[in-house]
Amino acid sequence: MNLLDDLRKNVIDGDLNATQGLVNEALVENIPPEEILMDGLIAAMTEVGRMFENGEFFIPEMLVSARAMKGGLAILRPQLAAANIKAIGKVVIGTVQGDLHDIGKNLVGMMLEGAGFEVIDLGVDVSPEKYVAAVNEYHPDLIGLSALLTTTMPRMKDIVLALQAASLQDSVKVMIGGAPVTQQYATEIGADMYAQDAASAAQRARQLMQA
Amino acid sequence: MTKREVIHTVLDGRTPPYVPWSCGFTKEARAKLEGHFKLLDIEEALQNHILKLGSDIGIFTDLGDNHVQDVFGVVWDRSIDKDIGNVNGCVLPEPTLQHYSFPDPLDRRFFTEIPDRIARYGDRFRVFQIGFSLYERAWTLRGMQNLLMDFYDHPEFVQSLLESIADYNIAQIQEALKFEIDAIYFGDDWGQQSGLQMGPKLWHQFIYPVLKRMYSVVHAAGRYVFIHSCGDVDEVFDDLIGIGLNCFNPFQPEVMEVESLMKRYRGRLTFHGGLSTQRTLPFGTVEDVRKEMKRLLKMGARGGYIFAPAHDLEGDVPLENMLAFIELVQNQPGYREQ
Repeated sequence: MNLLDDLRKNVIDGDLNATQGLVNEALVENIPPEEILMDGLIAAMTEVGRMFENGEFFIPEMLVSARAMKGGLAILRPQLAAANIKAIGKVVIGTVQGDLHDIGKNLVGMMLEGAGFEVIDLGVDVSPEKYVAAVNEYHPDLIGLSALLTTTMPRMKDIVLALQAASLQDSVKVMIGGAPVTQQYATEIGADMYAQDAASAAQRARQLMQA
Repeated sequence: MTKREVIHTVLDGRTPPYVPWSCGFTKEARAKLEGHFKLLDIEEALQNHILKLGSDIGIFTDLGDNHVQDVFGVVWDRSIDKDIGNVNGCVLPEPTLQHYSFPDPLDRRFFTEIPDRIARYGDRFRVFQIGFSLYERAWTLRGMQNLLMDFYDHPEFVQSLLESIADYNIAQIQEALKFEIDAIYFGDDWGQQSGLQMGPKLWHQFIYPVLKRMYSVVHAAGRYVFIHSCGDVDEVFDDLIGIGLNCFNPFQPEVMEVESLMKRYRGRLTFHGGLSTQRTLPFGTVEDVRKEMKRLLKMGARGGYIFAPAHDLEGDVPLENMLAFIELVQNQPGYREQ
């Protein structure tokens, strides 16, 4: 098995130590950092997403894989910066105002990182004003809004309206998700995308960057 | 027939005179109904068939500033969610029980009200509630992401944590069984909008054997077992029936095929819940509520069904939608003739 195959396998298996060891080994072998990232870490997380969609992986498997990927990425990051390799896009995520539930949003963040995005996590209970400020500050390609409750879901519309009021609607795309959220609701409030889970959120964000 | 007998009829797979019900409300939703009925206690107006004893989510000490602490030591922030709250901090930061002592399962506060409440609502079916009964108790102590990773990183710890929670619950159940109760109503959310949070493999490996042990104590005493587990969990119904589950709640129509499951499990499992709280009740019209209600009442006419919204109603449900289902369920001919 070649080194990157081995790296992918260990990310998928969620083995943090082996993943970090293999990233170091790959660097010693002079494999370009971009190749380690794309063909190792990102390829592995794409496979994790596919297995989640197929019902072979669930949240625990996704969490341990994401942890391994992050551990590998932490080692790789200085090398990527030195080689001037940028993330494929930038995403700001958060759970909307009035909602403190974060595991869904965290999983989306992990899968987006695993897809090669830079992720800025605003945390939970995020007001429309904070989203607008974050768009102005970070200039993301996409913002991701999460809500678990029917009572907090309407805050998503407030964020879309706040972006319009700040004339930012054309400079950033809006993706929404969470238990009560549907494609129909996304269409209704003028959000650009709906994702039903973390794996499809990463997949749709990648498609956006390729469009 | 008393309300208690109607529920027994349903659980035993016989045809009831009408579809019984037991509906729950969050504080905000309850306040709307109290205002409407001009009552301090809306139980009289609701005529629920199930009397809930013990504690659904626990007993709490007020810490001030919208924070409370449960008997397990977990601190909950209730600044936003006023009913349950969200866990603050982590009681078990490391995967070990070495420095942790479980609370007293026989804390009298769980039991003192039981005789008075049975005396007051004696015609109702009595359930003793054990909320956060296993997986949820474990993650409130350890943190959800930590616990989910512990399944792989520290399986012996997870097993010992779950067994300790079961020991605590069983001691409490045994005390509750000394009263004239009909069932133990466990609560433990395993589902997400699609599938089990931990997946079927880990559920079978870790959760199932412990459930089996807890359910067997209830059955040995000749009582019924109820479980509330939110989300898409119907893939484990056969396993749950196999270890003695009698009634499943909340039966969410957004995540499971309510009518086909009723057909498939009629006579083997009773369902409690069913009315959409993610769509129809907060966002539908009165007519939408009536239409869905009528379908549910028709579905449950032959038994195997206890009507309820599929979750304690949140404050975003319009009063007229609440009144629509309350009116329809109470106007069933079989109930009015009682």
